[in-house]
Amino acid sequence: MIGALCEDSWFPVCLSVQVATAALLIFAPLGVLLAWLQATRRYRGRALVDALIMLPMVLPPSVVGFFLVVVLGRRGALGQLLEENFGLRIIFSPAGAVLAASIVALPLLVKTAQPSLEAVPRELLDVGRSLGLGPVSLLFRVTLRWAWRGVLMGLVLAYVRAMGEFGATLMFAGNIPGQTNTMPLEIFAAYQAGEDDRALLYVVVLTLISTATVLVAAYFAPRPERR
Amino acid sequence: MSQAIAADITVQVGATDAPFELHAKLSLDDGVLVLFGPSGSGKSLTLQCIVGVVRPKGGRIIVRDRVLFDADDGTRVPPHQRNIGYVPQHHSLFPFCNVRDNVAFGLPRAERARSTIVEQLIEELGIAHLRKAMPASLSGGERQRVALARALAVRPKLLVLDEPFASIDVTGRGDLRTIVRETLKRHGMPALFVTHDPTEAREMGDWTVLFERGRTTDEGRPHELLS
Repeated sequence: MIGALCEDSWFPVCLSVQVATAALLIFAPLGVLLAWLQATRRYRGRALVDALIMLPMVLPPSVVGFFLVVVLGRRGALGQLLEENFGLRIIFSPAGAVLAASIVALPLLVKTAQPSLEAVPRELLDVGRSLGLGPVSLLFRVTLRWAWRGVLMGLVLAYVRAMGEFGATLMFAGNIPGQTNTMPLEIFAAYQAGEDDRALLYVVVLTLISTATVLVAAYFAPRPERR
Repeated sequence: MSQAIAADITVQVGATDAPFELHAKLSLDDGVLVLFGPSGSGKSLTLQCIVGVVRPKGGRIIVRDRVLFDADDGTRVPPHQRNIGYVPQHHSLFPFCNVRDNVAFGLPRAERARSTIVEQLIEELGIAHLRKAMPASLSGGERQRVALARALAVRPKLLVLDEPFASIDVTGRGDLRTIVRETLKRHGMPALFVTHDPTEAREMGDWTVLFERGRTTDEGRPHELLS
């Protein structure tokens, strides 16, 4: 049933959802961990890590895509290693689209969640520690329960950013029909071919998803501090 | 019986060009030791070192014969393994838990739902009618009673209270002092109590240590020292 729904014109819609969902599984744990680390720890090199996290947000997506090609392409060091030892080829594959989407979405999650994690009152964390909570328990039982609105907002915004990813995906995963043609790529291809009606379908779907997401994010936006 | 606490610590915090230096020495066999002095004299910083959330530069902290910190041999027990109850002035309750769940927060998961100590403390501290209430709906005095019950529920070796009545109106403080004092006595719980209010120090303390500009300058019975 779902397979039939995902054929022909609807394939890019299904692929975009799948790519964004798979990317979510990568950037969610990594992004929450990075946001928590940057919010709560003062360590040497913190500013450098902060800059690296921000980089995909400020660089043109095509530059991010180019870096991915250089590192993970067929002639890239890591790309060659994966292909020769494990038979894995990430470039020009759906996995490439997932990786590009994850990298571009990650900073949005970190930068949205970090202020909420920083706002957790120190006294509350100290009380948690005094009650026997180690760092991991403290994160799950106090920090995330206090800051869940900001974290959820970050996840939602990053998910939509992953779904709308274009430049890095085009550079690294290509626009291969039936394999890597996500909605943003399909809009571009349809417009180039003069098929405005086909482009409109994906424009409407992406606009609806983005609008719904912004509304959900606004509903869950962090509220004034509670005591 | 061994001493409840013996601490002799030096701490340095703040800007490197003009740091705040603290040298505190205190001990308690039983009862309530009041840390008395003006704001910024180092009382709360001393408590934070004892709880384990601030690292002293030098000295030792021993609670019931257990060395929690020793700068000479590098001993530093992490805060979640110290078994010291903590009641702060602000943000004392977890806002996402009701009163009962707050009191049971520090217990092992299996005991949380049907712990007799939780029910006993809730009754003792007169908060049984608030069992299902959320912290946002409680008065300042009710919050601190819940915070005290929660700290006692894990049967700590020592309790530290950092100006717990500071944000409570004057009329409510008298009753609360009596309740806290009687509860500590009933449980045989030694406590460190920070205040800058001489009336509170006289009513709560068995012994007082005076803090002035980062030094413990004198000690004695509260009625004699603060007359």
